[in-house]
Amino acid sequence: MKEIIAIIRANKVNATKRILMENRFPAFTCRSCVGRGKKNVDTELVAALMAAGELPQNIIGEHFTEASRLIAKRFFTLITSDELADKAVRLIIEANQTGNPGDGKIFVCPIEESYRVRDGEAADEIF
Amino acid sequence: MQLIRAIIRPTKTNEVITELLAAGFPAVTKMEVYGRGKQKGIIVGNVQYDEIPKEMLMIVCDDENTDDIVKIIIRTARTGAGNFGDGKIFVSPVSEAYTVSNGKAEL
Repeated sequence: MKEIIAIIRANKVNATKRILMENRFPAFTCRSCVGRGKKNVDTELVAALMAAGELPQNIIGEHFTEASRLIAKRFFTLITSDELADKAVRLIIEANQTGNPGDGKIFVCPIEESYRVRDGEAADEIF
Repeated sequence: MQLIRAIIRPTKTNEVITELLAAGFPAVTKMEVYGRGKQKGIIVGNVQYDEIPKEMLMIVCDDENTDDIVKIIIRTARTGAGNFGDGKIFVSPVSEAYTVSNGKAEL
């Protein structure tokens, strides 16, 4: 089995849910998280822009100016069988791709065992 | 690739992610979590608090950077000589990573 962890834009969760449901991946878990990616925020540039009045002096402008500030994302996980993992990854990419940086990342991790709590069954065909 | 999950004190999060940025590891995901450890939570008077707020940092990195990142987290998140409740770090394998914006299979 594979665990697919996708860190995606908050406004793409519904589209992701829909496309997965249409392709028979009903089960998933989603929660909110914050984070940042490979690209650094150039704090000096943003500070200069704010000083010149080109950025709003409100909470949005403030959001970008501190090195430790992080961007809100959604943390989307689902467990699939080995052979379906690739399909699920393709579907998530299809639903989330806008072509801009910040679309997110997808990680595929191995899962050794899984159990259903209701009857204690440990079977591959749970999913 | 490895997935590093570090459960640390919320007060130490800023310090850790600033330190990671300085060391050239900008990418990180942060989540609020609640839990207890081996000390069974905190007992204050007659009340036992076993859901202690912590923050979980998740970092996916190449195999050769794993040790560096773990060392940075341990060095920065530790309080004093090392108190109970400073947190835990777990490392698990990641078989594939994709970037959504270009669909490429790379970190």
